[in-house]
Amino acid sequence: MKAKTFLAFVAPSVASMLLLIALPLVGVVFLSVYQSYVKTELREVTTEVPLFGGQTREVTRTVPQPVLDDNGDAIFIWEYVGGRNLREASEIEGVVEAFKGPFPQDEGLGGKLNHVYKRISNYDFWSALEFTLLYTFFTTPAILIIGLGVALAVNRVTEGLRGSLVFISLLPMIVTPIVSSSAIFWMFLDNGIVSVILKQLGFGQIYFLSNQISTRILIILYGIWFAAPFAFIILYAGLQTMPRDPLESAMIDGANAWQRLRYVIIPHLTPLLAVITMIHVMDAYRVFEPILVFGTSVYANSVQYLTYFVLGVQDNIHKAAAYSILTIIGVVILLIPILRHTFKEQKAIN
Amino acid sequence: MRKRKSFFLTAITNSGLGLWLFLAMFPFFWMFLISLRTPVDAFSSNPTLFAPVTFKHYFHVWFVDEFWRYGINTAIVTLATVAVSLTVGCLAGYALARYGGRMGFWLLVAALVFRALPHVVLLTAYKPIFYEMGLWSRYEILIIVLVAINQPFTIWMLRAFFRSIPKELDEAAMIDGCTRWKAFRLVIIPVMWPGVITAGLFSFILAYNDFLIASQLMSGDMTTMTAALGNYMGQNRSMERLMHGIAGSVSVTIPLLFLILVFQKQIVEGMTAGAVKG
Repeated sequence: MKAKTFLAFVAPSVASMLLLIALPLVGVVFLSVYQSYVKTELREVTTEVPLFGGQTREVTRTVPQPVLDDNGDAIFIWEYVGGRNLREASEIEGVVEAFKGPFPQDEGLGGKLNHVYKRISNYDFWSALEFTLLYTFFTTPAILIIGLGVALAVNRVTEGLRGSLVFISLLPMIVTPIVSSSAIFWMFLDNGIVSVILKQLGFGQIYFLSNQISTRILIILYGIWFAAPFAFIILYAGLQTMPRDPLESAMIDGANAWQRLRYVIIPHLTPLLAVITMIHVMDAYRVFEPILVFGTSVYANSVQYLTYFVLGVQDNIHKAAAYSILTIIGVVILLIPILRHTFKEQKAIN
Repeated sequence: MRKRKSFFLTAITNSGLGLWLFLAMFPFFWMFLISLRTPVDAFSSNPTLFAPVTFKHYFHVWFVDEFWRYGINTAIVTLATVAVSLTVGCLAGYALARYGGRMGFWLLVAALVFRALPHVVLLTAYKPIFYEMGLWSRYEILIIVLVAINQPFTIWMLRAFFRSIPKELDEAAMIDGCTRWKAFRLVIIPVMWPGVITAGLFSFILAYNDFLIASQLMSGDMTTMTAALGNYMGQNRSMERLMHGIAGSVSVTIPLLFLILVFQKQIVEGMTAGAVKG
């Protein structure tokens, strides 16, 4: 295909991405180095305050008032602030302080590091990043193991049943995340089914949603439940492409089930495990819905939820833009291994 | 000996599988069940499988809270998003599959980076820009935003699919005197539908499931079903409100169940196309 024809064919797609993805990214950078506010001035304002019996009294106070332009609209000021928003959002000074100390006496290096960690995780961005990383760290191996287990189990089942097994397994992944997180959330309410059944079994009333550890565990379990189907489908497809010969010769050589899994099946699936890890890490970095639904950003926050909260609830676009920049830096770091792999592949082709 | 061992193994894998299926299904099953109950039965301290059935939560959600409006909005937005993103994506995916130059590679790398971006990053820019331009709460805006966000994934997937259509097919047509565009229209379009349906499904699911963007760019009567569910959330709502949220959630889930039932094969193919073939 000629370059000119190529450009003509990709033009609409490229235009949409330039206009609505690339340009907004530039916009975010721009927003993050500015601060905007309504221009105000202190003015004496006289108001009539009602007293009793229909009488009023005039009160004069000095209050900030928006300055109006000729059309009577408030004047909006954009002020260039450089890296200030970014510094405030990342709380870089606080982080540096935390490393400088002072530290409690009589503690080794471990105690000091713990102290630094505790202080840093008090800051919004760092605590959001902390939970995002914890979520990624715990869900990734779990979905690989569960996905592989389910794929192997489904592979042993008779052909006729497999369709419905796949159907059920797809549910957690395809159903709207906000609905599936709610479905889990409702089960763990104080009078939800799980809490009630645990109480009947004699565990006492457990308040899952009112402390940090159980909230975090629930969100991570949700993440595993939500993403395991993805790993399962891909590994199941991988098992279908598995050549029969190595397995059969392993059996003839007397390998037991575990040895066949360890030395024949897993090596065959390794590239797929890598792909699943890559995609899941990218998705885990964006975790949003369970944090919103569980409604307890005090206990567990995520990078994307933090930005959403600052943007949508606090309505502070400049701070949100600064958080976005930090988010993008994180994405780039995550992508480095993937991009390096892609470049190597491209070189190999050329 | 051998037989007993494999019986043992089968028992273990099957009970593990059974546990997984129960876990995958139960939250939805229970949500569906309690959506038909009064709050007292739904969150009773003595849960039962059978309880008196009531449809009043559904009635309230659909007709008092006017969920039907949001249903129409969702239909308009998702169908238009699917149509536009497939049209735009097919052209790009086809060109990427047939063009060997550097530009194609860079476009794919850029798409990969864009795909990894959390959507809230883009939203941060959209909010002030669209607000300044007065483009608020409009179908067109939500549709083109969802199309653009869908593009990176769509072009990767369609490229993989178009590569599986033999080159010789359109080259033969061009030797017979077709232009590239004519070859695409007359030779490729008739054979591309399986891949396009698969890519369309994923566009549909992304647009239908989107909460973040719709909840921020649309307001009032213009919002979608998924974004409208946000109205029922929060811990300090009344029991009635909570039940309405459950009925709304079930309403949002049902179309997806039909989608999986009908297109299960295509969904599985689409998920594996990218990963298994590289």
